[in-house]
Amino acid sequence: MDLNRHMPIFIKATVNVFKEMLDLSVSSGQVENEGEGFISQGFTVMVGFCGGWRGWFFLDMSQATALKLTEILIGEQYATVAEEEVLLSGAEIGNIISGNAITGVNNSQPGLNIRLTPPSVFAGEEMSLYNVRLNAHSVIMQTEAGVIKINVVAEEGKG
Amino acid sequence: MKGLKADGSPYQVMSVDDSPITRKMIKKALEPEGFAIIGEAGNGKEAVELYAKIKPDIITMDVTMPIMDGLDAALAIKKINPAQKIIMLSAMSDNDILADAHARGIDDFCSKPFKPEEIVSRVLEVLQR
Repeated sequence: MDLNRHMPIFIKATVNVFKEMLDLSVSSGQVENEGEGFISQGFTVMVGFCGGWRGWFFLDMSQATALKLTEILIGEQYATVAEEEVLLSGAEIGNIISGNAITGVNNSQPGLNIRLTPPSVFAGEEMSLYNVRLNAHSVIMQTEAGVIKINVVAEEGKG
Repeated sequence: MKGLKADGSPYQVMSVDDSPITRKMIKKALEPEGFAIIGEAGNGKEAVELYAKIKPDIITMDVTMPIMDGLDAALAIKKINPAQKIIMLSAMSDNDILADAHARGIDDFCSKPFKPEEIVSRVLEVLQR
């Protein structure tokens, strides 16, 4: 499977969701091979895939960016990412981006039937995220709410 | 106020989504237009149970949820009342899911993310069929 071929679908989904859901423009950098792991900026949403692909989509950002996105999304300010609404807002943004992207992948390759797992959110300083034996591709993106990174790690699944 | 019937009473809506954030966004979109959110559920099983008690005019239903998904819940509700209006809302809207929703008699399918005005117009359009 050539993830390089599919990364533009995830980039396009991220740009569209930030525009439609948050009214934020996003400028994208280049796709990079990130190896097996990365250091979180402080707030990471993870959504798993199963079916024709197995793997994960990560949406990573600073805690300040997560707070800003929550404020834009639900119109309320929060002081800390430990607030449930901040965690849930991040989860929903990650869920919708990955859902939009996987819809594109499924429609471009009928029969894959990839489905998503519920999102998980991790918040903390100096977190290392590591994918054993799987290679990740990532893109740094600049938004008006701060820098975000999307990271996709996937391999062909067994259905 | 688009959410009021001819007699001045509000259209009654049940919102089903495992994300409280999405339920909040639906509420913020519909209530200012006069719609009344008379019930919320976080999964399909809760939705079927709540439906029997409140009988809303229309249901907004997520697809992917724990315990029972939205497609199965919609089918169960349509068995109770085939005329019940249901709009599916989902981040996943590939051709297989759309075909499945159509086969179960779903009235409309709205992809997330949605703008407040989009959900208002979709709900009204289905109610007025």
